[in-house]
Order: sequence, then structure tokens, then C-alpha cells
Amino acid sequence: MTDVEIEQVRVERSGRIVLDVPALRIRANRTTAILGPNGSGKTTLLRVLAGLERTHHGRVRRSAPPSPAGVAYAFQEHVFLRRSVLENLELGLRLRGVDAATRRARIAQSAALLDVAHLFDRRADRLSGGEARRVSLARALCLREPLVLLDEPLAGLDGRIYARLLEEMPQLLKAFAATTILVTHDPQEALQLADDFVVLLNGRVAAGGDKHTVATNPRSREVAEILGYTSLEADGTRIAVPPGGLTPGPGGRELVMVVEEVLDLVNHREVVGRIGDVRVRVTAVDGHPPPRSGERHVVHADLFYPLD
Amino acid sequence: MTAIAVRTAVVSGAATVLATLIGVPIGYAMARRTFPGRTIVLGFINTGMGMPPVVVGLVVWILLVRSGPLGNLDLIYTQRAMVLAQFLIATPIVVGFTTASFQALPPHLPDLLMVLGAGRLHRLWLLAREAKIGLLVAIMAAFGAIVSEVGASMIVGGNLERTTRVLTTAIVTETSRGEVERALALGLVLLVLSFLVNLALTVVQQRR
Repeated sequence: MTDVEIEQVRVERSGRIVLDVPALRIRANRTTAILGPNGSGKTTLLRVLAGLERTHHGRVRRSAPPSPAGVAYAFQEHVFLRRSVLENLELGLRLRGVDAATRRARIAQSAALLDVAHLFDRRADRLSGGEARRVSLARALCLREPLVLLDEPLAGLDGRIYARLLEEMPQLLKAFAATTILVTHDPQEALQLADDFVVLLNGRVAAGGDKHTVATNPRSREVAEILGYTSLEADGTRIAVPPGGLTPGPGGRELVMVVEEVLDLVNHREVVGRIGDVRVRVTAVDGHPPPRSGERHVVHADLFYPLD
Repeated sequence: MTAIAVRTAVVSGAATVLATLIGVPIGYAMARRTFPGRTIVLGFINTGMGMPPVVVGLVVWILLVRSGPLGNLDLIYTQRAMVLAQFLIATPIVVGFTTASFQALPPHLPDLLMVLGAGRLHRLWLLAREAKIGLLVAIMAAFGAIVSEVGASMIVGGNLERTTRVLTTAIVTETSRGEVERALALGLVLLVLSFLVNLALTVVQQRR
């Protein structure tokens, strides 16, 4: 499998640019997460890669025209034929001319991993949200295509199954897919599942590359916020602090927080306040009397990244 | 009477089959494609669903009559002329119901079938199976409209006793002759024919 390359891709809808990517290379045999806020063009990029987005008057151009062959795609929406789960799982394999024995083996393997074998006889369009998500993933993975595209693969799953799948997904993808590109808006999910990041903002690539490079060099406030960082003004410069990176008391880069309230969360207390115009939460130190509302409270960040 | 019933079934059956073959792909395209003026085109199609058969018959007669633009085809007062007129009445009905049926499917279903690897015709077939209930309503409505119409068949077929007389035109003829009992019997045959065709289509529609 070679790298996936995009050149001069431009998608417009009703005169509005929804995707404008002059050049993008997605590395083969790795998992890439496409991150971005709602409406940033994440799904459109995935559809372009799947060959689903139609070229309107030559506005979408690709270095090598992608086609559905060689691609497995799991939609964000639950889309099924009004038939049994098994028939839905079989359809893609049948259309690819896979023989019955191989079909059975592949479906059994992906169904076992996603725990959907007991649903085979159920009508696929009548599954619950979590069941439908797992069947949809099983359908994409049993195709064993070299390029797997997943649109919000873990959205709508309940806590227990979400945690299990989040943990198992990397092995699952390693077993079933060569190159995976997944869309998510959750930076923690992306950090856990992906090797590379592509951050989209208003249809344009704002950052891209190895996740370590992107996550340790967010550069702009917008990218930092998409990565889940808190963007703060400190001594005239702007810094991005990763989640949980603020600690009470003096240390590293010190900041002053104006306390608004203290939340009692049973096992610990959280101090909620503002640093400049940004609302932040800091875990209170046990044994110390909690600060009062309106007090100025010194906090610090040991790990932070400067922003442009 | 049997010959008239068979002729009715053949003419209306042929027109329904043709309208289905042409109307279903058009309905699919209307449901899937977006283009400028689409709503206006749909408005025309929906108006066509209620088009008076006698008007369609008149237009077809003007086209096919010996002195008309298509007069050299020598189709006027033939069963083929009746099939043509009934096809024109049935097609907007098939297109209108088909468009609505395909639009009622989950919007991402065609994309799903595409990424699963189904070609254009295979996609249409799989989607038609998903929209089966609505599509069979389209076929039943179209057949029901043309098997019961009298104006178009009378004008373009000419109600010739041995070749173009169908159940509806025969009922008109018998009533005008004062043969009310025979007219009623023909009416009963028409109802039975309609029922049998619709029963067969309903069995297909309701089969899981």
C-alpha cells in the first residue's frame, strides 16, 4: 500500500468552500486521525478519499482517482439495508466476489471481535445505536481492504463498550486494516487511536503530521483548542496547556486564577475560576483549606507550548 | 367478453410494464440528483399524475391521426396507439410515486452501496428492493389508472369491436345500446381483473 496523496482538492457547496486542500500526504500502514470542529470538512475529506464526493466542474482533483474498490468505509450514520445483520455483513463481500467459506470465516472473526455474532438474525435497521455502531465497524473491517475510512467510529457508544473498544481498536485495526483514516472530534480518542494527525479548520489543513509533532507544536490558538488544550495569556505571551496541566501553587510557568467556585466531587475538589478571559479548572490540593470565591489563587503549568 | 378482457389486460399490462421500465429509473434520478429547476420539474410530474386521460388521448390522436405529424406510422386506431396513450398517462404516476419512495430511503444508502462496491445498475436494483413497498404502490396506482380510463382508449383506439374494444369502452357501448345487464357484467369482469392483478402485486409487495 502506497501513501494516500491529495492534490488540489477543492469542494464547494452552494458557493461556500467546504474543503480546500492544496496538498496532503497520508502515510500508509498507519492510523491517521482527522480532527476539527463541526463543519470543518472532516467528513467531506473522508468522502473525497472514498471517491464519494463528486467533482463539481473540476473543482475536486486527485492525484490518483480513488474509487470504492480497495476502500472500506464506516459511516457516521447508521446505514443498513432492511435485512438481517448477517445479510448486511455479507453484502460487501458478495459484491467483491468472495467465496462463501471465506465470507463466513471473515464475518465470524470480525463479529467475534466486535461482539455482534448474537445479532446475526436481527433486522439491521432495528438495532440500538451501540449495536449498529459495532455492526457497522464489523462490516467495514471484514472487507479487509488496504484503506479503511472510519467516520466517528466510537460516537454514541455507551461508557463500558466505548472504553473497551477504545482500548481494543488499535489491535483491531492492526489485524484488519493496513492504512486507517478516522474522523473524530475527541482529541483524547485521537491520541489513543492514531499515529498521525490532520487538523482541519474551515476546510483547510491547519496542522498535519506525526501526532507527537502536531501535539507538541500546536502553533495557533485554534489548533491548540482542537487538541483539547487550554490557551492562556501569560506575561504577554500566549501558551497552550494540555488537559490536566494546571496545578495549584507556585512552580513552572506561574499564572494567577480568580476563583469563582469550588466543586465538591467527593473524592477530590476542583477549583473553578478564570485566568484572564479563559475559564479553567484545577484539582485542589488535599489538606489545604479550599480557596474562597473571588480570591486570587496561584497555579502553575510545568508542561506548556508557546503559541504564535 | 373473454377476448375483450384479455385485450384489456394485454394493453394496460404492456403500458404498465413500459411505464415501470421508463418511470422507475427517472424517479430514481429525480430522488438522487439535484439540478436547477428540479422542484418545477417535480411539480410538472406531480401535475401529470392527475392528468385527464381524455386530454392525453386527444394529444396522441392529433399526433397519430393520418394527417398528423406521426400519421405515416399508421398507428391510429390500433392497440399500439392505446398502449402509447396509456403509457403517457401511467408514466408520471410511476415517476411521482417512485421519486417519493426513493426519497424516503435513508439518505446515505446509495453511498453505502457504492462503497460496498455495487455498480450503477446493481445499486438501482438493491435500492428498488429496499423501496419495494412504495414502488409496488406506484405500479398498482398506474395500472389502476389506465385499466379504468375510457377517454384515451376511445379516442386513439376507436373502440373497434374486434381489435381495440376494451372493457371500459365496451361498457360505454353496451350502456348506450341499452344493454345494461351486459354493461354491468363487463363492469364486474373489470373489477375482477383489477382485483386479481392488484392481489398478485400485493403478494409481491408484502413478501418479506
